[in-house]
Amino acid sequence: MATMELFRSEAMQLVQLIVPAESAHDTISYLGEIGLLQFRDLNKDQSLFQRTYANQVKRCGEMSRKLRFFKDQINKAGLIASSRPVLDKELDLDELETKLDDMEKELLEMNQNNEKLMRTRNELVELQLVLRMAGDFFTDAQSSAAYYQRGLEESPSIGESMDSPLLLEQEMQTDPSKVVRLGFVTGLVAKAKAMTFERILFRATRGNMFLKQAPIDAPVVDPATGEKVEKVVFVVFFAGERARMKIMKICEAFGANRYPFPEDVGKQRQMMAEVSQRLSELQLTIDMGEEHRTSVLNSIGYQLEQWIVLVRREKAVYHTLNMLSVDVTRKCLIAEAWCPVFAKPRIQDALHRAAMDSNAQVGTIFQPIQTKESPPTYFKTNKFTDVFQEIVDAYGIANYQEANPAPFTIVTFPFLFAIMFGDWGHGILMLIACLALIVNEKKLGSQKLGDIMEMAYGGRYCILLMAMFSIYTGLIYNEFFSVNLSLFGKSAFKCRSPDCSDDSTAGLIQDGHRVYPFGVDPAWHGTRTELPFLNSLKMKLSILLGVVQMFVGIILSYFNARFFSLPLNVWYEFIPQMLFLGSLFGYLSILIVIKWVTGSQADLYHVMIYMFLSPTDDLADNQLFPGQNVVQIILLLIAMVAVPWMLLPKPLIILAHAQLSAVFYERVMLNAVETGNIIAIIIGFFVFACATVGVLMIMETLSAFLHALRLHWVEFQNKFYKGEGYKFAPFSFYRLDVDDE
Amino acid sequence: MSFAIGTLVFLIVSFVGSLGVRLFYNQNPATNLLNITLVNTAVVCCWLTWAIVYMAQMHPLVNPIRKAEGE
Repeated sequence: MATMELFRSEAMQLVQLIVPAESAHDTISYLGEIGLLQFRDLNKDQSLFQRTYANQVKRCGEMSRKLRFFKDQINKAGLIASSRPVLDKELDLDELETKLDDMEKELLEMNQNNEKLMRTRNELVELQLVLRMAGDFFTDAQSSAAYYQRGLEESPSIGESMDSPLLLEQEMQTDPSKVVRLGFVTGLVAKAKAMTFERILFRATRGNMFLKQAPIDAPVVDPATGEKVEKVVFVVFFAGERARMKIMKICEAFGANRYPFPEDVGKQRQMMAEVSQRLSELQLTIDMGEEHRTSVLNSIGYQLEQWIVLVRREKAVYHTLNMLSVDVTRKCLIAEAWCPVFAKPRIQDALHRAAMDSNAQVGTIFQPIQTKESPPTYFKTNKFTDVFQEIVDAYGIANYQEANPAPFTIVTFPFLFAIMFGDWGHGILMLIACLALIVNEKKLGSQKLGDIMEMAYGGRYCILLMAMFSIYTGLIYNEFFSVNLSLFGKSAFKCRSPDCSDDSTAGLIQDGHRVYPFGVDPAWHGTRTELPFLNSLKMKLSILLGVVQMFVGIILSYFNARFFSLPLNVWYEFIPQMLFLGSLFGYLSILIVIKWVTGSQADLYHVMIYMFLSPTDDLADNQLFPGQNVVQIILLLIAMVAVPWMLLPKPLIILAHAQLSAVFYERVMLNAVETGNIIAIIIGFFVFACATVGVLMIMETLSAFLHALRLHWVEFQNKFYKGEGYKFAPFSFYRLDVDDE
Repeated sequence: MSFAIGTLVFLIVSFVGSLGVRLFYNQNPATNLLNITLVNTAVVCCWLTWAIVYMAQMHPLVNPIRKAEGE
């Protein structure tokens, strides 16, 4: 009979490869394509820099740095690197190295030039702004001065001491000989700093200055930093050379760019025209440079992915070569590696091809070697089983070839989740969400997802089973968004009297010996006895399922013991554990079933407690079957014998999900419906829907998931699973590419 | 009696499921064994819950008592 897939990890073998030096590189890269060899580091005593191929690894590192630089540049320019790497076999690493080097230099130079040009352009833009705004100040001032002058002429008695907004013209008119000539500085300063700038200027010149500023509508690019900043244009007037020096210094300290501003209007116009012309010329140059740069980046981007993959692989190949020990004659390299036995023909084939392709005179010698070391654990998983193996691996990697819980976990994990989650309405929502993931599997798999999305995508098949089992258990619990439906026929309960008058006092009565055929009878819903009944049911359900799961775990330990031919484990571990579990919890389970089937009123707590305290006492009312005392004494003795293996049962999580859901339903939805107000109902439904999705679906999903995880790890796996192995980590190009992305 | 019928239904599901895997999703023996194990584990789990809930309702110690008006 075939061994079940996934039950035991693949048979592994340690092999030795003696590779001729000339074909070493090809051999390793061919093996990387197969990806089923885990090389052992034979140079553990050497540091990374001392090894044979340290130089090549360094070169590859340098190259990948350049490639990252290109990628960065491409991303910054808003271009997209082609994402379909087609490996060009002809491409040589050395050629690529020089190519990358040249391209990096070219790109750096272009960037530098571009930066210079941009700086000049930004300066010109600022100058243009200054010319325009400051020009406005002066014309404004002139017109208002003229206005005041007219005012003065009309009423000479008042206006004598009145200041015009700009002192310049008036002062010059009144007494040109006495006045110190006023100087001014124009420029731009960041809006955020404008206030302090003004204050400092005022203090430094002791108020002997005049500042005029105007904000610019759109933010301008600062020439020095290249960032967009909100700025104001300012003109500051001052008197004297000392003041000028001070102001210059302050300007510098504030990062205010100063620009020349001719007083003469004609010159202003001329300068304006010059600036505009230079600006348009510069823009042309910049545009052309940009275009050239884009085309260069585009051509890089076209091949970038391919180069990245090549360099990554080459680096990995040299890194692996560094793990090989070099023969004294330096003619061949010796490798030791773990490989699955099934992969040996493929490996031999690859070795053969590598030797042919590199024209080596001798082929690689491939031979198994004996070792006492424990081989790595390797499970061949597919996209469906992968996530379940991950759940098991998170607890611990299986020992080599020990029984793997994963084949059972695939069903029992989602099932236990569903036992706690159980609502088929919620289950359907989950199923829809999960089917959306599975239908778009290919599309989602190729793109980057957020953390939560990534998790949901990785676990999509687990979620699928969780949803399906949740629908099943929801049907069993008769919960549909915490509403009961009579899907499986009429309730097995009926009123005692035809008019149902005593249904809230004496309650309903069972209709003969009829039992509701599937799941919980809808008659229970909303009754006063619902909670006591369901709690008792769910507690016993938990006990029974828990006991069954523990039994399965112990039985698996038998398979392990038999597989590794360890009779001691069978006699001193498996059998006493079975006896102990059977005589206490197995017995309890049987009592539960007997009580249900016979309808006995016996108190199981009492039975179990007095089984220990006074096993010989008469059970009286609590007797479930004849001869129970004798049976109990025997079981107790068996348990005593097995005591060293005593494990305290950890009660399963009682299913709180349904209660919480009901609270939301009653408090929000029903209250809203009772008001009769359509808006209240809509709002109520909205809140109910949000609560359902937010709290019940996500929170409860997570908590049920965690409990299911705990049950598997603690209750099930620790019965048989050692989990002290180490994972098979082969040298594989495929894994390399996946990990890097 | 209907407990036996219910159990029979699950047995049939288990049989049909195993047969279905063997006929319509036939792969190598090791994989077939895994898939049949999965189907049967699932059926056993489902049967177990059904059976437990069924048995618990055979002779319930409490009967459903409806809430009085306004309770």
